[in-house]
Amino acid sequence: MDAISFGWLVLSFPVAGMLTVSLLWNRLPGRLGGWIASGAILGSFLSSIGMFVDLQDRPEHARSLVDSAWTYAATVDFKVDMSILVDPLAVFMCLVVSGVSFLIHVYSVAYMASDRGYSRYFAYLNYFVFSMLLLVLAGNFVVLIIGWAFVGAASYLLISFWYRRATATYAGIKAFVINVVGDVGLVIAAFLLLDKTGSLDYRGIFQATDNVFRVDDGTLVAACLLILLGAFAKSAQLPLHTWLPDAMEGPTPVSALIHAATMVTAGVYLIARMHPLFEMAPTAADVSAIIGTATLLFAATVAVAVTDLKRIIAYSTISQIGYMVLGVSVAAYGPGLFHLMTHAFFKALLFMGAGSVIGAMSAAQSIDRMGGFRKAMPFTFVTFTVGALALAGFPLTAGFFSKDEILGFAIARGSGYVVLAVVGYLAAFVTAFYAFRMVFRVFFRNAVPEARELEKGHLAHHEPENPASGEKEDTDVGFPGPEHHIAERSWPMKAAMGPLALLAALAGLVQVPGIDEAVDKFLEPTFADSRYADVHPSTGTEWTELGIGGLLGIAGIGLAYLIYLRRRSLRLQIRERFDALHTFLFNKWYFDELYELLFTRPVAALGRFGRNVVETDFVQGTIVGGATGVVRVGSSFARAIQTGYLRGYALMLLVGVGALALYFLISSS
Amino acid sequence: MDVAWFLVLSAFIFCIGIAGVLTRRNPLVVLLCLELMLNAGNLALIAFARMHGGAAGQVFALIVMVIAACEVVVGLGIIVALYRHRLPIDVDELSELRG
Amino acid sequence: MTIHLSIVLFMPLAAALVGALLLPQQVMRWLVFAATLGVLAYVVVMLADFDSGSRGLQYVTDDSWIPELGIRYQLGVDGLNLFLIALTAIAWVPCTLWSVFREHERPKLYFFNLALAETAVLGSFMAQDLALFVVFFDLMLVPFYFLIGGWGTGDRVRATTKFVIYTLAGSLLMLAGAVALGALSTPDGGQISFSIAELTRRSTSSGTQEWIVLLFAAAFFVKAPLFPLHGWIPETYRSTPLPVLALLSGVLSKVGVYGFLRIVLPTMPQGAQHFQELFIVVAVFSILYGSALAFSQDNVRLVVAYSSIAQLGFITLGIFSLDPKGAQGAVIQMVNHGLVVVPLFLIIGVIASRARGSESLSELGGIAFRAPVLATLFVIVSFATLAMPGSPNFVGEILILFGAFENKLAYGLVASAGVVLAAVYMIRFFQRTMHNRPGPAVESRDVDRLDFAAIAPLVAVIVALGLYPQFVLHRSDKATTARISAAQQVQSPVASRQSPGTRPVMVLKDVPKP
Repeated sequence: MDAISFGWLVLSFPVAGMLTVSLLWNRLPGRLGGWIASGAILGSFLSSIGMFVDLQDRPEHARSLVDSAWTYAATVDFKVDMSILVDPLAVFMCLVVSGVSFLIHVYSVAYMASDRGYSRYFAYLNYFVFSMLLLVLAGNFVVLIIGWAFVGAASYLLISFWYRRATATYAGIKAFVINVVGDVGLVIAAFLLLDKTGSLDYRGIFQATDNVFRVDDGTLVAACLLILLGAFAKSAQLPLHTWLPDAMEGPTPVSALIHAATMVTAGVYLIARMHPLFEMAPTAADVSAIIGTATLLFAATVAVAVTDLKRIIAYSTISQIGYMVLGVSVAAYGPGLFHLMTHAFFKALLFMGAGSVIGAMSAAQSIDRMGGFRKAMPFTFVTFTVGALALAGFPLTAGFFSKDEILGFAIARGSGYVVLAVVGYLAAFVTAFYAFRMVFRVFFRNAVPEARELEKGHLAHHEPENPASGEKEDTDVGFPGPEHHIAERSWPMKAAMGPLALLAALAGLVQVPGIDEAVDKFLEPTFADSRYADVHPSTGTEWTELGIGGLLGIAGIGLAYLIYLRRRSLRLQIRERFDALHTFLFNKWYFDELYELLFTRPVAALGRFGRNVVETDFVQGTIVGGATGVVRVGSSFARAIQTGYLRGYALMLLVGVGALALYFLISSS
Repeated sequence: MDVAWFLVLSAFIFCIGIAGVLTRRNPLVVLLCLELMLNAGNLALIAFARMHGGAAGQVFALIVMVIAACEVVVGLGIIVALYRHRLPIDVDELSELRG
Repeated sequence: MTIHLSIVLFMPLAAALVGALLLPQQVMRWLVFAATLGVLAYVVVMLADFDSGSRGLQYVTDDSWIPELGIRYQLGVDGLNLFLIALTAIAWVPCTLWSVFREHERPKLYFFNLALAETAVLGSFMAQDLALFVVFFDLMLVPFYFLIGGWGTGDRVRATTKFVIYTLAGSLLMLAGAVALGALSTPDGGQISFSIAELTRRSTSSGTQEWIVLLFAAAFFVKAPLFPLHGWIPETYRSTPLPVLALLSGVLSKVGVYGFLRIVLPTMPQGAQHFQELFIVVAVFSILYGSALAFSQDNVRLVVAYSSIAQLGFITLGIFSLDPKGAQGAVIQMVNHGLVVVPLFLIIGVIASRARGSESLSELGGIAFRAPVLATLFVIVSFATLAMPGSPNFVGEILILFGAFENKLAYGLVASAGVVLAAVYMIRFFQRTMHNRPGPAVESRDVDRLDFAAIAPLVAVIVALGLYPQFVLHRSDKATTARISAAQQVQSPVASRQSPGTRPVMVLKDVPKP
């Protein structure tokens, strides 16, 4: 079989899994549904490996294959096929997406075991992975947009999975709507490109780009900015990031899926995929780089202040995606995508660890209530710490290589990009700090009652309440069931976290500067046409930069150690000293409030205005009222004639006959 | 004799009939005046028939008489029915058709 | 010349007449249902048999009807109305089935009206003679008048009155327009004709066309409805029985916009072109206004009602973009909108029956719990309604938007805000009924078999079209393009006149758009 057939298989497996699980939803015994779904994703992963192997067998220039299954829509000057494109970038994404998703599926088999919506959950999960794979395999803009929107829909379904929670449904609608904004951006961008290049296929567009557009052509920049709108909506970059922290309302493995393997990386993928356009429109690429940098700093600062464990990791995701966006925007495609991969590993791991801890806390999520889980949950502790080390960029872990390579590239591009890199380094320090803020506050210090009970072998159980609002939980739809699951007691969770911990620790070794650089080499055919292909820091410089990054990471960890373990009074002192700053950060820079003020309220007010004023006064009053008024006047005249007096009618008859006679008399003479 | 005289007479009788229908309130008199109008029509028909020498006009006059007879029967029937219901025998009081 | 179309056309009416006069009502309702199935079967065969390569009419029936006035009994199918006929056939089946299993007062009259309505709607889609179109267009009003007035709920008298006055006023204006068009286009010494093909060949001065177009537009905008002629919507939607409402909103509303493509654009291209800007403004305003109102309604029927205004706005935008892509998008979107609205109203019926008849969002909620099948059907329909990529509606909407961008970029951009608003109101609608905490009177029960049999096939059609929208595009492509070509040709010289010194047509792509 060749790579294209494998490509179609990659897509078929999750669809088959989804259909099986959803059609047999009430007939599958026990955990079988989860295993079927996991098997489907495993099938996708193996097919991705098949693609990978087949692609490696081909010569470098022939590693981009397109195949069309059927004509999707065609009319006068618009033709779209249901086509996929298999090239190293797509294969790379497929491997990461299906691989990490598979582990998340396995984790979920145990984590969601006692949920009432077990089958529904796995059907959604498969659908989610299918959408993401469709997105990365798409061969033209329309299929991309379909995958793009499917991802949004799946995320909506999963975020509001526990739909009895008002906060969850609100978060779902928020995520969906922001994603639709991005979709619209993509649609308009697709039109601009079709209009100029006459094609919607990637190949057609890229081939025409050089002929049709000048550098920084107005239309092209507009198209690229619209693409960025789509990418930023999905990747939760400023200013469209607000949905992501709220997306924590979904079950924890879903957070892992959204944040690590699928969805948020889509924006990064898109920018990388569109690199021929962005390189022709450097202005748009610069905008993207600047926004990426702003986001990575912004999110890191917020992560320092918030106290909800999952939301800390969520902001860390926003921040890390910012690094990737910066990377692919400064033409550091290899490092950017490499960071995407390593981030997928350690972020999935962190979420799984968080899920385990939340299980032990009986669904409480605030780190203020946690502490001392080190002894009670040794496995979770070790794996979580490995993830945090990778996130912090501790030397020789995965994050160490990937993050600092991006910054190295930015420096190599010179001039203004150096500033971006400096900001990146600053944020790296903050990152290390908040990563270990989590570790120290959750696993060290005095053991909370839940941890002590767990040490005695008893898993805590509280009255279920919504961690976001404190409301009493309606447990009908499954959350949180009477059972909780922690990694220490469920082998599928361990089986998922173990490999991820290994990868988070060691995956950096595939791309050691000057030694192997496997990711760069594999992706090279896709980016061979890049005009920055030869911009690359020398190996020596790169090691220096890695060194700086490593030192900053260690410094951040040290500071966290100082504040949270050594001198705890320091924490409150700092907080009191910078109270305004803390409030500002704690409220996430007031973005939610701003949007509420700018969009939600005006639209709602407009709707009310329409309903109360336009509908009643104008439509019903003026138009309907006017029309009925005319009818009423007319009918009252007609009624006035109907006196009921016989002689009245007789007179009218007479007058009528007389008038007729008169008319004929006059006209005949 | 000139046909015009017959027509003038017919018009006179017709106008008397109309005046009666429009002004009188007793249904019996209204009915009588209606008869008067019909007969005015008959007179005109026969006059024209004689003038043209055809029989069609006379046949029409006969038909009108038959219709008039039927109408009187129905009209008197209604008046009797009203009387039976002790309703006022006055056309102005019978204004059920008012809109 | 074939008799096939006449058979399809009168099958429901004949079945209803026979049933009403000869059979007991229990048998009669099944006979009417069988007739709708028969129509569907016929249409399916027609879909398979249809020659997609031809742009002309097929299965033509052409007989003299009132020779003195040049009115002919002329029916025909081309790519433009093929799928609207299919939509009618598809939509009537579940709505009749839904009614068959529910009790009504005076059932014979009810089913007779239902069947008469199908004949009338099919007739107005098939008619190729303007006078015949007007006849069927007004005939549609009769059964719906009785259905709403006789079996409606709430303040049905007021609703019926409003509905009738509005649509009748529109119809009369259209009648005047049709007569004027027929009379004024007759050449000196020629025979008057209402045949649309003949009218297309004849020409009238552009001044005449302009006021006639306005008369037609009044009727079609009321039927659609578009802002500001939608005043009849709230009462009518509140009072109409659900299966009838599904047909009213899903199928009837398409007759108006279909009329633009069938009659107005081919016969009065200059007039249509003259009002392009105005109609686009009306369309865009309807999109935004309908969406904003759908977002703030509490009654579930009204959410769909106002969303229809927005959707019909999109369709009108596509038509009057006077671009092949836009028109093609409008055609496919007419079909799609019908396909989503019908199940949507049936689902509303299911939901209301689980909440003791309540149709108010504030009292609903949480139904999904024991109703996973219902929730799944509903979520698919909702996603299709908001034109999520992957649904057939997306193809319609993207073509409409592309068409609008091509000629009227600014309006297109404003209209695309409607896509976002659609997401807001549909998801809100889905969530407030199926998710969140259950409302006070809500009882979560899954869809039963009969309702499932009515709703599921429609959902299956939606999914199938989402996978392969080309099925529609392929067949409707040529006819649609032909219908707008006249108006398009009017447009091009105008556009090039506005940019002096540039070469026409070729240059259009490079001229900066407004």
